[in-house]
Amino acid sequence: MTSRGTPSRFLRSVLQNGLGRYVCQLKRISIIFSKTHPSSLGVREYIEEGVVDYAKKNPGTVVYVSPQTSTVPKIVAEYLNGNVREEIVICKTPQQISELFTKLTSQSGLDIIRIRKPIHTDSPSIQGQWHPFTNRPPSIGPIKPQKQLNQS
Amino acid sequence: MVFLTLSCWIRSRGPDRYWKVQELLKHARHFRGRKNRCYSLAVRAVRRAFVYATRSRKLKKRNMRTLWITRIAAASREHGLKYPALMHNLTKTSVQLNRRVISDLAITEPRTFLSLAELAKARRQEGFRAALGDGKEPPGVFSRIVSLQ
Amino acid sequence: MSSFSRSAQQWATFARSWFLIDARMQPPGKIAAMCSVRLQGKHKPIYHAISDCGDHVVIINTRQIAFSGNKWEQKVYSSHTGYPGGFKQVTAAQLHHKDPKAIVKLAVYGMLPKNLHRRTMMQRLHIFADDELPEEIRANLTEELPQPREIPRKLSEYSQEEIDAFPRLWTPPDDYKMK
Repeated sequence: MTSRGTPSRFLRSVLQNGLGRYVCQLKRISIIFSKTHPSSLGVREYIEEGVVDYAKKNPGTVVYVSPQTSTVPKIVAEYLNGNVREEIVICKTPQQISELFTKLTSQSGLDIIRIRKPIHTDSPSIQGQWHPFTNRPPSIGPIKPQKQLNQS
Repeated sequence: MVFLTLSCWIRSRGPDRYWKVQELLKHARHFRGRKNRCYSLAVRAVRRAFVYATRSRKLKKRNMRTLWITRIAAASREHGLKYPALMHNLTKTSVQLNRRVISDLAITEPRTFLSLAELAKARRQEGFRAALGDGKEPPGVFSRIVSLQ
Repeated sequence: MSSFSRSAQQWATFARSWFLIDARMQPPGKIAAMCSVRLQGKHKPIYHAISDCGDHVVIINTRQIAFSGNKWEQKVYSSHTGYPGGFKQVTAAQLHHKDPKAIVKLAVYGMLPKNLHRRTMMQRLHIFADDELPEEIRANLTEELPQPREIPRKLSEYSQEEIDAFPRLWTPPDDYKMK
């Protein structure tokens, strides 16, 4: 994998580095499954057992359950920043689906791509960035060649 | 990057060769010329690019270190110190900052760097005094330094 | 993001300075070494090879540069015009007589890195044979750099008392004939 060929981003936090209140970034989660197909068996079981508990535990997240005919079972997660993630859950057990729900809920919705640096700050300088006049004594008047300075 | 190919995989599995080519061209899309669309040209270029990328992962560390050293040298010369003098005296005063942090300090926190430079200068003067001793010659030795003073 | 805009700070950080160097009685190589560092921007802690942070350098009095040793006669500047028999060789004295800026310019050009930025950096170098500066350049100057070499005093610049007070190894007898 080359560094130019793969997408990358800087480290970023949507939660203001924990300074603000925690806001669950998962806005909406919909479970799309088939009522009859055997590949949706695990999803159907999860809907029977755990999805109500999940919805009660996460009041900030809207949960949709939409049975559709002859579709691939999948979970579509929409985040506050507009990102949409689709997870295919063919032949998954309820346990696995429950883990997937927890994972999707705890994510921030930012793209999962290479992060360029492990550190980042929005305000890198407290004392003011270096500039050419930081360490230079203030000069008086315009600069002149020395010989002319002596004459004048 | 958005992977639009994934949904295509599900709908209809085309011939295997097509997907193999797409998997490779995915890494070559930002190349210049026909390399970004012709498989036979791209396959070599991608292989070469991966070789370079592997090699550069080591080179990057080396290049970054030289960059930090250049920056620290520039910043320390503003305060009348040469780079080796600064680093040597900082290690002597057990300042355990690495070159990356020192160069970052020189850019973003110039006053902190100034105090580091002052520290190094003070340590250097101390070292000079210690090297000169109490200004007396050891017995049986005539040194030029003492006679010059 | 901080509450105030940081664009002004950014402008200050990447501001270009104009340095003035007086080349009177200075070795061209030392002048060129100072220039090449500043033209590349290697005197700034924000240096990066691709960030184009070099400064302007103004050199005056290049007519009065000083070579040491026998370089004026023995240092040879070679060039080739590209035509058969077009190999030109001139000594430093001849070149300096023809163009008083050429020696310093060639020295700086040779000390810059050999890449595509070299011509750009050379455009930021302003050489003047005498100490006359145009007003638009004089208005830009921010700092005068100290000369790398202390200018030696000539015998004519010493006063008679200083010459008399100079310590002598031996006093020649009255009938000694100076060669």
